[in-house]
Amino acid sequence: MTFVKKYLAWGAGVLALLVALLVALPGSKPRGFDASGFGNLPILEGGRVKPLDSLARNSLLVIHSRQGFRHEGRMVGPDEWMLDVLFRPQVADQQPIFVIDDPEVISLIGAKQTKNRNYFSFADLSTHLEEVQKQATSAQPIPAPKRTRFQSAIVNLFDRVYLYYKLRNTLQLAGSPGLAWELQSLGNPEAGMRHKDLTQLAHFRMLPPTTAANPDAWQSVGQALTAASSGGGLHPGLVPLAKLNAAYATGDAVSFNQALAEMNGVVTTLKPDALGQAGRELVFNRAQPFFVGLSIYFVAFLVLCVSWLYKPELLRPTAYALLLSGAIVHTIGLAARIILQGRPPVTNLYSSAVFVGWGAVILGLIVERMYRKGFGTAVAAAAGFASLIVAQNLGTDGDTMEMMRAVLDSNFWLATHVTTITIGYSGTFLAGAIAIAYALKKHLVAKVDVETDKALVDMAYGIICFALFFSFVGTVLGGIWADQSWGRFWGWDPKENGALLIVLWNAIILHARMAGYVRERGTMVMAIFGNIITALSWFGVNMLGVGLHSYGFMDKAFVALSAFCASQFLLMIICWAPARFWEQKPPTRA
Amino acid sequence: MIKTYASRIWKYTKSLQLTIILLSLLMCLVLFCTLAQVEMGTQGAVNAYMRSFIVWNQPLLMSLPFPGGALVGLLLTINLTGRTLELQRTWSKAGMWLVHSGMVILFAGEFVAGMMQVDTNMSIEVGQTVNYVQSYKSAELAVIDITDPSWDEVYSVPDSLLAKGRPIAIPGTPLTLNVKRFFPNAELTSLLPGAPPSMATAGVGRGVSIAERPLVSADNDMNQTSVFFEPTAGGRSYGTWLTSLAIDTPQSFTHEGRTYLLSMRLRRQYLPFAFTLKQFRHDVYPGTDIPKNFSSLVQVVNPSRNESREVLIYMNQPLRYEGKTFYQASFGKNDTLSILSVVENPGWLLPYVSCVLVSLGLLVHFAIVLRRSLKRRQEQKEG
Repeated sequence: MTFVKKYLAWGAGVLALLVALLVALPGSKPRGFDASGFGNLPILEGGRVKPLDSLARNSLLVIHSRQGFRHEGRMVGPDEWMLDVLFRPQVADQQPIFVIDDPEVISLIGAKQTKNRNYFSFADLSTHLEEVQKQATSAQPIPAPKRTRFQSAIVNLFDRVYLYYKLRNTLQLAGSPGLAWELQSLGNPEAGMRHKDLTQLAHFRMLPPTTAANPDAWQSVGQALTAASSGGGLHPGLVPLAKLNAAYATGDAVSFNQALAEMNGVVTTLKPDALGQAGRELVFNRAQPFFVGLSIYFVAFLVLCVSWLYKPELLRPTAYALLLSGAIVHTIGLAARIILQGRPPVTNLYSSAVFVGWGAVILGLIVERMYRKGFGTAVAAAAGFASLIVAQNLGTDGDTMEMMRAVLDSNFWLATHVTTITIGYSGTFLAGAIAIAYALKKHLVAKVDVETDKALVDMAYGIICFALFFSFVGTVLGGIWADQSWGRFWGWDPKENGALLIVLWNAIILHARMAGYVRERGTMVMAIFGNIITALSWFGVNMLGVGLHSYGFMDKAFVALSAFCASQFLLMIICWAPARFWEQKPPTRA
Repeated sequence: MIKTYASRIWKYTKSLQLTIILLSLLMCLVLFCTLAQVEMGTQGAVNAYMRSFIVWNQPLLMSLPFPGGALVGLLLTINLTGRTLELQRTWSKAGMWLVHSGMVILFAGEFVAGMMQVDTNMSIEVGQTVNYVQSYKSAELAVIDITDPSWDEVYSVPDSLLAKGRPIAIPGTPLTLNVKRFFPNAELTSLLPGAPPSMATAGVGRGVSIAERPLVSADNDMNQTSVFFEPTAGGRSYGTWLTSLAIDTPQSFTHEGRTYLLSMRLRRQYLPFAFTLKQFRHDVYPGTDIPKNFSSLVQVVNPSRNESREVLIYMNQPLRYEGKTFYQASFGKNDTLSILSVVENPGWLLPYVSCVLVSLGLLVHFAIVLRRSLKRRQEQKEG
């Protein structure tokens, strides 16, 4: 490789990192309002303090399936949307953000299915709210796995509408003249009812605790108003909040930004570290390291594919450099999550997908360093991309940094058992990915290349050993955790069984190879089957809905999982196909 | 002839082929056991698939027989032992030695747990003192002599004995219980006017209509064990009584100045020590219902050891005491009732030992293999 080519390759990697940095920079101020500064304000929701921006993104993701939408010819971001919902509900109500896919639900709200995706505004839905609520209430008592498609869809719609309804009634009652008016009419006889409504509907608490004695006692606007009208003194945050409200509703950007500075001052006085903490999470939200990472992996994979046809000595190192930058972004994202949450990397299904991908990429990088054939880069980029896509889809249920339920609240076990077992998943998937690469290569490339085949089998074998070690240790550590917290080492709980299946399968592969029952091709077919086992024990058991480990049922994922398993079976057949399908005829010697 | 057969069988018993077959069978069993849990509950599925020698009559397998977990486990242990003994006694196989002996210990641990582990629980209300643990499912008929106000004499008859239907003489008392009819599970309803009269001639059972129900095994289902029986003493009958897990009302009769209370209850095991619940805490994350922690502050009083001390039992922090382990499991009654699950498993340490051995063994082995492979690559390069 010449000097220039080397620099070109690394230049591509650096460029990717620069793009990632660019994404993390703050955007413009819509209509002069410092929406991003407003999104930086800390709130208490879901048991933890976070920036309002996190809530805005997650709520929009739940309601709209995306973190932004196009309305009246321009993009509306999560912070601006949140401002509209909180302070200008009459505007927000007109924005078509509710995505409804189920045709029966669409007909229930008296509309026609026009496109593949159908968007409705709150105003569209408002005339049918009673019917939606009635249907949802009758479906709710049915356990989630037993609901019909319509029932699931209607409950889902109701939950989203209710979330929106609560948001628009958190800082002011929608339809009322606003918070300033509320403060003026504190003593009015009917004000008490409004305060009660505000307290009940509040989705988050925005006013920091006023006494150091009770550091978790954040207040909602309703609670603060109730306290004020019963003579408990006015919370210092209420006045700047009322100013923010009034300025935003009247379109006065200058006063809004001033009031924001005032609000920041109040927060800093009451809760000195909250603003900084929220700010760090805001940067993390904006940077979207996992989305950027998966984009870089995608480019790396494409570049590598091209490298097999064109200029391999330039493009292969370029792909490697890109993979490395993707891994750097991925690692920074993972580290940021660990710091923000104060927890080990894997705390829920979403973060397990992020971590599985990370493990596979790191392993792939190492394999590529050892063998330098491009296959390590290819499978690592593909595995990293695929697992981050899975993570993006798992992260649409709301906050991905949710609080840990009591039984899982143990950093020691999360760091040991959960991390080890997830590395075991990574390894099994990577071995499977290498096997797939092997199978495809055998069919696509006409040239017989015994050396590369052998290298691929060695890679897969080595990684299976690695995966067996981690999945075994992880499983047994899980047993020990169970012994510590539930009183039995092994309870044949579905999740435990799933982990055991991975261990058994990897053990079978190693023994079958040792006894000589399988050779190159057989090992590879078995490695692909490992993908199915791992996917089933990772996601499948959550779909059974039994046992202590079932923290979440996922219905849509079922289709995706079945499709994945089917594709792996197909690849196994391709890999297993008799030699005449994939070997070049020996050249006839004349 | 016989010798060759025996040696052939032994050779097969320790063959790799058998290892692979058994591991595959185990995989199938684990899969079946997992799927069956949806219908049967965890315990039911484990008993049917894992703790049995032959699985049969399972709808999941279309009633076809299949080797059970106990059989596969046993064969695997023999196979493993055979293979371990077969391994070369050299340093290069040290890792494999560790792994396989660790696996034997792990299997032994699961066998011990399957055979000897006893799961019970203890529910205590705040301020209450409890000196027994009770079973999750098995019932017993308690006959309690409550004549002395300061002291109860408890005689209990396990449900398994009631099921045999024979007369049961209660040692230490003049009483004999004649079992009329035993229901492993039943549904009790109020006797409607015009319905056939109850079998009971005394106590609340006279107003109850009873229907037999099939046994349930799902985790949250309870069998309402019930029995009709006739206590006799000194040649005199005291009528036919109905006791059931579904009946809470106290029922009693008096014989020669001694009053006996009759009740069906979950089987109890009395302990030589007692727990008093001083405080129960159920912490949530601020502004949510998400539980953050559960903890029970108990006073352990053990007269035989002259011991009285406070212990805090909370999530991931059980109390190991007198061979039993007490875990914070559940709660109720507006956070005034704490339920501790109690496990007695003499083999609880085995998995820990096994874990260390196998992890170490795998590390050693893979290190050896890696070194060998690197060496070979080096030689290839040089050669």
